[in-house]
Amino acid sequence: MRYAPAIAVGKLVRIAARLRKPGGGSAIPGLIVNRIAPGYLKRTLSGFPQGLVVVSGSSGKSTTTKMLVAILRAHEVSIFTNPSTANISQGLTSALLEQADWRGRVPGDVAVLEMDEGHGALVMQGVDARVVALTNVMVDQIDRFHDSEMVAGMLARIAARAGEAVVLNADDAYLERLAARVAPGVAVRRFGVSAEVLAAAPRGLGNTETSEARLDPADGVVVARVDGASAVLLDGGVERPIGLPARGIHYAVDAAAAYATARAVLGERFSPETASAALSSIPPVFGRGERVRIRDQDVDFVLVQNPASYQLNIDAIPVGTEQILFAIGSDVRDPSYFWPVDASSLGRVSIVSGSKAAEAALMLAYDGVAIDRVEPDLGRALDDFLAAPAPANGVKTIVFTADSMRRTRAHLGLTEAE
Amino acid sequence: MTFTIVSLLPGTQNTNGDAQNATVLETRAEWAGIAARTVVVERAAELPSEIDAIVLGSGSDASLERSRDVLRTMHDELRRWGTEGIPILGVGTGWELLSWGVEHRDGSSLEGLGILPGRAVPRDGRVTGDVVVATPRFGQLVGFENHARAYVGAEASPLGRLRAGEGNGRDSGQEGVIMGSVIGTHLHGPVLAKNPAFADALLRIMAERRGIGYAPGEQAVAVDAYAAAARAAQLRASGIDLEPSD
Repeated sequence: MRYAPAIAVGKLVRIAARLRKPGGGSAIPGLIVNRIAPGYLKRTLSGFPQGLVVVSGSSGKSTTTKMLVAILRAHEVSIFTNPSTANISQGLTSALLEQADWRGRVPGDVAVLEMDEGHGALVMQGVDARVVALTNVMVDQIDRFHDSEMVAGMLARIAARAGEAVVLNADDAYLERLAARVAPGVAVRRFGVSAEVLAAAPRGLGNTETSEARLDPADGVVVARVDGASAVLLDGGVERPIGLPARGIHYAVDAAAAYATARAVLGERFSPETASAALSSIPPVFGRGERVRIRDQDVDFVLVQNPASYQLNIDAIPVGTEQILFAIGSDVRDPSYFWPVDASSLGRVSIVSGSKAAEAALMLAYDGVAIDRVEPDLGRALDDFLAAPAPANGVKTIVFTADSMRRTRAHLGLTEAE
Repeated sequence: MTFTIVSLLPGTQNTNGDAQNATVLETRAEWAGIAARTVVVERAAELPSEIDAIVLGSGSDASLERSRDVLRTMHDELRRWGTEGIPILGVGTGWELLSWGVEHRDGSSLEGLGILPGRAVPRDGRVTGDVVVATPRFGQLVGFENHARAYVGAEASPLGRLRAGEGNGRDSGQEGVIMGSVIGTHLHGPVLAKNPAFADALLRIMAERRGIGYAPGEQAVAVDAYAAAARAAQLRASGIDLEPSD
């Protein structure tokens, strides 16, 4: 009963927000409930019958979270999870409100939360998790995080909330150092890639510092091989072939992370066959890459959040893709850290847009990319881009940062994907 | 004749894309019809015998000592090239390593190469934000700073006067340091791309040393329009309202 008034206010605000901005998610209801009932988020997160699982790290946490949810659901566990765009406290509370009954209770046996590495340490104060999974340490949004030590420190604070197990990427030297400091009684589970997979990664794994040695298959889940959109996981000496949602070693690493985390969460109940099948049946395009049907044409959405995902996703765009819209928004305070990325394979970009359009154009120009037009107004850029004749080669492709993605979705009337 | 531009220690000293300043020099030289190449140098043995410019970027504090130890093995070459007037651009901790040294908050310190006057000292809290510097030689520079230390000892030869931002701090009203053509600055990332007049001034020094001329190429005009728009947008977004620069 104690949260009923706050929940009622939050739900009303949510309805009002939806009326004002159809299709758009809003953090306002969460902001209000956090203000008038500050204990709600903490208590609700700690109150799931089979506990809380947190996924954090610089890159790959959205994909890993979605894969983990798919595996757990395949094991018939009912799950509460947050949309990847709601991974800070107001957004989390808003996501809880969406599912909550009038007393504030949220259905689900297990909560699986993707947590922003910057806000996670704060959100997790006083919240107990069963399992914390950490993907990697990369310097993401340099004006927020300054350097790798700071990111590792924040992840250590999130990991300290784990009561049962910490699952971490053994190829990340920062996370391996963190493993040595896990509290007694808390298990450390690992995932990683084989020497063969590392050797085949043209630009490495993207971690700030890659561990010297590869994970011994006796000590965790190893990505043994990756071939296009399929991979083989090695679990307890048994090969588990899986399908990936798209080509790319990073998807295989995310799959190994989700697999190892599901094993830690489910214990005896974990079935390798069910997990492999669940991973293989994840829709081919989702998460960072998404194909949508807009105004009677196929359009690929490519989200870039940090230098590593930017490079991987640029590399994954087929060479010769004729029509590209490239937008950097106000979420990138200073785009300097994107400069080490080599975007020359794009060749030509039709329109550069977003509030950081000029910065983006400058960066692309020095990568030798031809630019047809710079249009800072994203709405106008989208309308003109979509109105242009269909390309003879490939699919129209929109590359954007999170802020430009939200604005694009709002402009086109698309709802947020979970 | 080919310009040889050295990108120094990008493995550890390129957190913010500072190493891409080498690419900017190389690309602008090529646009001007001058052949140019960037050579990545991680060890002394990789240093070319003849060079035209050096770019050294910023890294994390964890790599300060490791980078300093590598730089020490190139100390004689760096000092000689600096004295000969070859442009050397040090950014962030890269600049600090070229200075007398770095003083840490806990009282410990790290000796630098001593090629630039002054030293990095602790400051109260990190500063992150936009910077505008009026410089006598390179015009008005716009950039972004992100550092946890101030800089003292550059008072006699700063890169320029602050019009916005914190720069060297300690109420100096100054940013950066310059000795001949050896330059240290907090302006991180691709400062030469954002400020093409700065890049062109360095390219003119490089060309003069080689006895050739330099004039920006045709393609630079279009790209410099992006830079002008980016500078204007940055100033607008951060609410910095400036009179036209003098």
